[in-house]
Amino acid sequence: MSTPVYIKGFTNDTLGWQAWLDVVQLAQATPAQMAVLEESHPKAKESDYYLFLVHQPEILRQRSLAFNAIMYAPGGLSRAERELASTVVSRINGCVYCASVHAQRFEQLAKRLDVIEQVFEEPHGAGTTARERAIVDFSIALTLNPDHVNADSIAKLKEAGLSSPEILDLIHSIAIFAWANRLMLNLGEPIFPSV
Amino acid sequence: MLNPNSRDTLDRLVNLSVQNQTYAVRHEREKVVSATQGSEDGLFDPALPGLSLEERLCVALYACLLTPAPELAAEYEGRLAKLSANVQTMAHIKNLSIHAIQDTRLQAMLNFTHTLITKPINADKQALLSLPQAGLATAEVVTLAQLISFVSYQVRLAAGLRAMLALENQS
Repeated sequence: MSTPVYIKGFTNDTLGWQAWLDVVQLAQATPAQMAVLEESHPKAKESDYYLFLVHQPEILRQRSLAFNAIMYAPGGLSRAERELASTVVSRINGCVYCASVHAQRFEQLAKRLDVIEQVFEEPHGAGTTARERAIVDFSIALTLNPDHVNADSIAKLKEAGLSSPEILDLIHSIAIFAWANRLMLNLGEPIFPSV
Repeated sequence: MLNPNSRDTLDRLVNLSVQNQTYAVRHEREKVVSATQGSEDGLFDPALPGLSLEERLCVALYACLLTPAPELAAEYEGRLAKLSANVQTMAHIKNLSIHAIQDTRLQAMLNFTHTLITKPINADKQALLSLPQAGLATAEVVTLAQLISFVSYQVRLAAGLRAMLALENQS
């Protein structure tokens, strides 16, 4: 990957994250906690985020099932477009850590960063195509004003070429980051690479 | 046919029935449907140690009122009423007058809820540390954060599904 960008406090650089309260120590983890860590993420045992959430293993287990099914399931909305929506939501909510991870994933999948740079600069109106602009607009609307989303909002996505299964995947990708951002923002903080 | 007794909360509240295209599209992603309901069931499991079910439902109700998400607020209010929850506390939550709640532990949880729902970027380390200061154990803090964050997800999923159904019903 090329040199990371830093725009308006957001970046596609690789950041760390540390919890503000005590995490579960692996040596003290129960078999149920170990099982949930193993099925949540390949690096969960080294991650403060998972080691903190595993204080409640069954809740983490269901959250990871939902997250992985939404972001990685085959078919429907392309994985790059799911990552774009996740990055927009993270930018709107101000979650620098989540934005960095999902900006990187978008770049890995799409082999470009142009739209992410636009989102970091100013999310409103960002997008390199009409389809991307529709995805970005809807991501902002459902994040900020879920009570104002209506049939017209969905009709605009259809006009931009999204099918109903793609729209559902988009709704899922936006909603799951309402969840993820609130955990990452409020339980700890990102660590920037030392320069 | 509507689905008033569906065990799936979102299908029931959005009025999704098997004849709807939106229902069929949603259930093509069955793993998401089951993990969404599974998360709700886990977060409101009466046997979950730590926060009482009444405390958890108060948080969910307040989160839905602030969003606002009236159908989900009515759902959580109904569940609270079935528990014979403190009427005065419920009235304070419905009036959004959290400062009037006497229970300082619940008040701390609801203040945290307000920050996470309305302006998540404003929740700093001090906001989190106010919870152990109000007597919450770390595992209870995890439950609370997951609960508020889950409701943030659930209200947006409900809004999106309702909008898809509304367009379907126009055509």
